[in-house]
Amino acid sequence: MDHFPTNWGRPRNDAYDSYGTYPIPHRPYNGPKDAFGEGVQRTQQPIVTGTSVLAIKYKDGIMMAADNLASYGSLARFKDVQRLTAVGEFTVIGASGDMSDFQYIQSMLDDKMVEEFTSQDGHALGPAEIHEYLSFIMYGRRTKMDPLWNSFLVGGFKEGQRFLAYVDLLGTTYSASAMATGYGAHIALPLLRTAVEGKENLLTEEQAQKILEECMKVLFYRDARSLNKYQIATITAAGPSISESRELATSWSFAEGIRGYGAQTQ
Amino acid sequence: MFLTRSEYDRGVNTFSPEGRLFQVEYAIEAIKLGSTTVGIRTPEGIVLAVEKRVQSPLLESSSIEKIMEIDRHLGCAMSGLTADARTMIDHARVTSQNHAFTYDEKIKVESVTQAVCDLALRFGESVHEEEAMMSRPFGVALLIAGIDENGPQLFHTDPSGTFTRYDAKAIGSGSEAAQSELQDKWHKQMSLREAQILTLRVLKQVMEEKLDHHNVQLAQVTPTKGFEILDDTQLKELVEAM
Amino acid sequence: MVAVPDMDSLVNPQQRQFNPYTENGGTILAIAGADFTVIAGDTRQSEGYSIQTRYAPKVFRLTDKAVLAVNGFAADGNMFVKKVKQRLEWYRHAHAKDMPLRAIARLIQTMLYARRFFPFYVYNILGGIEDDGTGAVYSFDPVGSYERETCRAAGAAQSLVQPFLDNQIYFKNQLAAPGMSHPTHLPLPDVLSIVIDSFTSATERHIEVGDGLEMYVVLAKGRGLGGMEAIGGVQELSERTEGERLFVVRRELKKD
Repeated sequence: MDHFPTNWGRPRNDAYDSYGTYPIPHRPYNGPKDAFGEGVQRTQQPIVTGTSVLAIKYKDGIMMAADNLASYGSLARFKDVQRLTAVGEFTVIGASGDMSDFQYIQSMLDDKMVEEFTSQDGHALGPAEIHEYLSFIMYGRRTKMDPLWNSFLVGGFKEGQRFLAYVDLLGTTYSASAMATGYGAHIALPLLRTAVEGKENLLTEEQAQKILEECMKVLFYRDARSLNKYQIATITAAGPSISESRELATSWSFAEGIRGYGAQTQ
Repeated sequence: MFLTRSEYDRGVNTFSPEGRLFQVEYAIEAIKLGSTTVGIRTPEGIVLAVEKRVQSPLLESSSIEKIMEIDRHLGCAMSGLTADARTMIDHARVTSQNHAFTYDEKIKVESVTQAVCDLALRFGESVHEEEAMMSRPFGVALLIAGIDENGPQLFHTDPSGTFTRYDAKAIGSGSEAAQSELQDKWHKQMSLREAQILTLRVLKQVMEEKLDHHNVQLAQVTPTKGFEILDDTQLKELVEAM
Repeated sequence: MVAVPDMDSLVNPQQRQFNPYTENGGTILAIAGADFTVIAGDTRQSEGYSIQTRYAPKVFRLTDKAVLAVNGFAADGNMFVKKVKQRLEWYRHAHAKDMPLRAIARLIQTMLYARRFFPFYVYNILGGIEDDGTGAVYSFDPVGSYERETCRAAGAAQSLVQPFLDNQIYFKNQLAAPGMSHPTHLPLPDVLSIVIDSFTSATERHIEVGDGLEMYVVLAKGRGLGGMEAIGGVQELSERTEGERLFVVRRELKKD
């Protein structure tokens, strides 16, 4: 006889082992099998990628920035891609890493939001719940050795509370008042921290925007996989709003003065 | 009345219009055909006693096994369709061992009782491709005795999966007379010895044959020695003392 | 000239493998007293040379008398703690009591060993009060080997902190004064200052340790506050004062 109530099935399907005594990691599986399971190709590397996402806390909520580039290796392949996306009434997600995995997650989150909406149970998923859900998906996929190759920043504002957290392809999560993914974590984050830490409740929208713009500029100068077209998202009590694409005002005249660069011959 | 009953006692999981599951009730009736089984809880431990019906002089009475060990600190006596009890005790033993393996502690008496009772209502038709576990309810009642951090305890289980804690309980054919006798004689500060004698006296009253050490079996669970079935010499001594 | 295909890559196909693990730095430690236990960890989370956050807790309250510290791969650690807490809840429902410390220790072993061939890359230290009222520390390796000890450090600065504890707690390489013997358990104030010193020192010498310190203190039932009063920044987590009492002490560590 099988002594584990979870395997007993009808008339009662135990969702968990109430005596907590299952010593073997893999329960017997009787569901449908994937005949081609062995031949499935898993994501081994990202293909079309987005670079850094930046986000900070400020007085009224969260502000996030990401450029519009999706690269194919070193080729600047798509130059009007939106990497910031609103999920529900309280949340914005910023994505770096593989763009097709990001689009897959977007549609998955869309389905989830529709499902939650149709249940009409008086609950609406906020940023904390969406981040938790997303980290379960990400950690679950890494555990299957079939990761979704992204780093995400999840920002939001609900019931007077700001929320900002990170999750990546390994399922690693954390939270802070200034955050950046990818290259931005090396180049922009120190600038963001100096500008934001301890001033989260003082920074105005204009100041926050200026800080992010400055960092996007530095990234554009230094990150070879970046673009001077970017968007900014704010999530406040009024809900999420994502700006139109804007151009960075950059100047390259200094390059003329650098030896071995540009028009110089000698 | 009988007509309605015959319509609703076919399917094992069909309620009658009065809200009864006849097959479960019949299973409870089956216990009343079983031999009398008595359990008494005292502060010093628990005593279990069963009547062994020796139907033929050629029958080897020591082969009738109606008291069994579940774990070092848990014992069990049965009445009814004793073959069914094997499934339940097997499950109780595995559950107890698994608990010790996973938690490095003795399982509680109530928990192991609950685990056994979880099995009781798993009968009925199969759905989809799943295999049906059991086709009918168990036809046996158990007295589960044991000692844990809450001290000595005695539980009664029946085919409906209900379990109840008792200070003293009798089940089986002579249970009605035996239970009222227990109600008269049981007291809080009973010693283990007194309980042993009382179980034998109660059995003697309800047994048709003359009680001796061949047609009864006695077991106890104590804090120091755990579960043990009393041997012939101990039993003989008790029968004489009674 | 005809380009020769790279035969080597055809003969020996290379497989690039996704690495499902990373290390997130930090250090944890626990010390058992006669009737109390201190479980502590820093709050920095890092990957490589980057500090991801200055506050990511690694020490978690499990029950009124059990505290678990996890260190290693943070995603595995958080998931593991979540699963342990779930099992504790199920146990409460099934057995109508909180799981005793030694049962939690064994449970953690079975949960870790269940993943023997795809381990949780986490070093666990479990601290708290045993059913007999003594302070206890259990330490684990990622696949579930465990033992009860008086003290243990784990994580990035284990190699810095453990020798210090061996010397200060077990009195290794120390001679007792003539006619005297070393105590088997230290009083709470001594233990707390050893914990604080361990972390300030580890912060000085190890780049992955710093930012903040969280110390959980579990006191056995009926034991006085003895030594807690003098400590600043104490927050009590237990609702009742009759049973075991649980406190958390938060301190700043250097952030460079």
